[in-house]
Amino acid sequence: MDLVFLAELTVNGALTGLLYSLFAIGLVLIYKSSSVPNLAQGALTMLGAYVVLAFSHNMGLPLWVAIPLAVVIMFFVGIGIEKVALRRLAGRPVIMILMMTMGIDIFLRGTTLAIWGGSSRSVDLGVSYEPLFVGDMLLSRIHIVGASVALALFVAFFLFFRSRLGIRLRAISDDYMASWSVGISVERGVGLSWGLASIVAVATGVIWGEIQGVDQSLSILLLKGLTVAVLGGLDSIIGAIVAGIILGILESVGSFYLDEIVGGGSRDLIVAAVLILTVMIRPHGLFGRHDIERV
Amino acid sequence: MAQPKTTATDQILSLNSIEVLYDSVLLAIKGVSIEVPRGGMVALLGSNGAGKSTTLKAISGLLKAERGKVSRGEICFDGKLIGNILPQDRVAMGICHVIEGRRVFEHMTPDENLEAAAPMSMSRQKVNSEKARIYEYFPRLAERKASQSGYLSGGEQQMLAIGRALMTQPRLLMLDEPSLGLAPFLVAEIFGIIQRINKEDGLSVLLVEQNALAALEIVSHGYLIENGRVVMHDSAEALKANSDIQEFYLGGGEGKNFHDIKHYSRRKRWLS
Amino acid sequence: MFYGLSGVRHNSYVSDSKLFPVPADRNAVVFFLLLGLAAPYLVSSLYLNSYILPWLIWTAAVLGLNLVTGWAGQLHLGYAAVMAVGAYSAVHAAKFGIPWEFALLIGGLASSVIGSLFAFAALRTKGLYLALTTLAMQFVMDWVLTHSPTIAGGSHASLQSPTFALLGQDITSDAGLYYVAFGWCVLVTIFMLNLRRTGLGRALVAVREKDFAAAILGVNSFYYKLVAFAASSFIAGVSGAILVSTFYFLAAPEQFAVNVSIQVLAMVIVGGLGSILGSYLGAALILLMPGVVNQLFSLGANLLGLDLGIETLAHIPNAAYGALIVIFLMVEPLGLGKLYANVRDYLMVWPFDQLKK
Repeated sequence: MDLVFLAELTVNGALTGLLYSLFAIGLVLIYKSSSVPNLAQGALTMLGAYVVLAFSHNMGLPLWVAIPLAVVIMFFVGIGIEKVALRRLAGRPVIMILMMTMGIDIFLRGTTLAIWGGSSRSVDLGVSYEPLFVGDMLLSRIHIVGASVALALFVAFFLFFRSRLGIRLRAISDDYMASWSVGISVERGVGLSWGLASIVAVATGVIWGEIQGVDQSLSILLLKGLTVAVLGGLDSIIGAIVAGIILGILESVGSFYLDEIVGGGSRDLIVAAVLILTVMIRPHGLFGRHDIERV
Repeated sequence: MAQPKTTATDQILSLNSIEVLYDSVLLAIKGVSIEVPRGGMVALLGSNGAGKSTTLKAISGLLKAERGKVSRGEICFDGKLIGNILPQDRVAMGICHVIEGRRVFEHMTPDENLEAAAPMSMSRQKVNSEKARIYEYFPRLAERKASQSGYLSGGEQQMLAIGRALMTQPRLLMLDEPSLGLAPFLVAEIFGIIQRINKEDGLSVLLVEQNALAALEIVSHGYLIENGRVVMHDSAEALKANSDIQEFYLGGGEGKNFHDIKHYSRRKRWLS
Repeated sequence: MFYGLSGVRHNSYVSDSKLFPVPADRNAVVFFLLLGLAAPYLVSSLYLNSYILPWLIWTAAVLGLNLVTGWAGQLHLGYAAVMAVGAYSAVHAAKFGIPWEFALLIGGLASSVIGSLFAFAALRTKGLYLALTTLAMQFVMDWVLTHSPTIAGGSHASLQSPTFALLGQDITSDAGLYYVAFGWCVLVTIFMLNLRRTGLGRALVAVREKDFAAAILGVNSFYYKLVAFAASSFIAGVSGAILVSTFYFLAAPEQFAVNVSIQVLAMVIVGGLGSILGSYLGAALILLMPGVVNQLFSLGANLLGLDLGIETLAHIPNAAYGALIVIFLMVEPLGLGKLYANVRDYLMVWPFDQLKK
């Protein structure tokens, strides 16, 4: 086992991890504003990729038109979902909210596949599949692109949450009643966070769609995204980034050693183990707020 | 009971026998009428569960969040009926409600708390000058403006809550139990500042208090609410002089027993 | 109408806490019990074994999940994994030559043991975090099943179930298999009906409402959570075993994958949290709906002359299934059980409903 190989595993793991962060940022945005764990983020991601494909492949638009169009459409899809389905469940037990997002997930997945079919397609971002050599390490170009998108989104949201609009969103996540009392429209704020999460879903869908093809498997990212979000703290965007890197490295290096023992496929096992251990040991995650349940 | 002799335009706020229903079954307020003169300070007094906070929520529209609604009567702010206006639009009109229990945005700094409350239409310069004005009122806040609000002391949090409300540029400030759980010298300090804002800016204030003694020192009029009804209202001096008020709310007089208190309440309710 | 409360009086606690305090309820239950017993003579064996039998087994499973989620208020997204434990242990036991009676028991107990691990998660967390932990446990279980050929039955990952037998008698006839499922469902239903009359049932409800408040009242909330998980897992395990031995005849990992967990939870939600009748209705709706929707769509497409692709038709039931969950939560979050109660209460005084006010 030479060091270069270990370094390669680590760096590639971190890059993949940042792609999980991309997904997790969508979850965090919604959880932050409304404490709703959005289990439909996987389906939103998939839908985002399919909408991009519908514009670029079916209608023949160039990608630089198709992606912004999809972003706009998905923004309103997100707002619509919140307005139609989630808003009236406010204050209900968490099981109903969870079930609602699962129902939305199943519905969106079914509808997407009914419209566009389930066969895997590629986005054709035009990123070369040729690996990039850094020293002796082999790195995947698309992973680097995706990781950069994740970091760029992180910076964008970091700045956004310091803007006046962002501060208002944070106020909403702190206290609904107090937000109403100073004239902040909680409904619009929560809707906005769903819209933003759906935009993130488009980015996630395009990047992951380029890596593994646009098909149903995009929605299976949910478990990894959730694990990253929980490990980082469900309401922390910086947490999502850090936890993504940690999970990515653990998964890549860990599975290399574990696969020899258990005979392959240990990635999912590592992810599940990280999720269970996080919840057991530190439920609020690395950077999350320390109020899991109000007494 | 004597009605104050004023014309409608002198009132910034008037409630005309409103009723509030929670969950379509629970009648919490049963015909409350209140008037706040423009630039005046009025107190709503009463014991726990009398309906003071509910009255404020009816005015600010926050009832909606608790599945309550105004089922009868009208709320008139500045000559306009506001019964069907959303809470955030009422804030834009100039009604701001400092809710009970110092609900500051705990995970944000005081500075961010103030910014969150500034209307989106307010210019950057104006936000800064408003913040400076509020720090001038509450110098303690300026000292702690970069720390996390959740770790401020109770008095500082109350000041922050009031300062945050002032950022919305209100013309009517409604305060729900600002003295709750605070040391007497802090209550005096906060009430002094409220009085100062009232004098300097002509801000109308509707104050809900259980601490009737402190409240009656700074307001001009007081309303006494019991079981969702106004059972007495008069000028602050008259209320302070009233023997029953002294007995039950100001803690003076010789001890009547609890039976008499209940009896009093019942009798007054029939009379009102 | 058929249901009325007039003339129903209880003069003692004993009579008030009877299994069916309202005679109309008891009569209805007796009627449906007889109907269930007579079903093999009323319904063709195709319908009996491809619709009613799985429905009854799923209902038993749903009741088990309702025990832990509806009664004890603990979110559980790994229920199918617990069913899998029972199914695989029972089938392996039966293959080993253990009589099915004991094999089922072994399956149930194995599930109980594994299911209680979930309870240890519930000790430390609740709500969303418990849901995520159980979800992760489901994934672990999936992984174990698909990666251990000795459990899953060789490289094809399918395990043939031996012929079902009770008391030494092989049960192969359609009616016989049906009665097994029917018997199990009735047993679980009786258990659940009685549960709410016991201290255990009340303790579970106390734990659901506020576990630390229950603890202050002297209810050992961890103990009751453990009991709830163990009992519910036992039901899950036996249901899983019966499902494999009388319906699938073949155990495969995808029968107990994560989407099955979600499906059982959907049955609970659509039926109504904590509602026994709702468990029956919810299971029926979720099981029947895909077929019905598919029929409707192909019928509609034929009528309109549309040409829906096979793939589209294949995914429409899924979309409808999701939509059903969403619509139920929007319209009546307490599910079919509550809808039934609403209708019943409305009809109780109909057409004199103005008298209620």
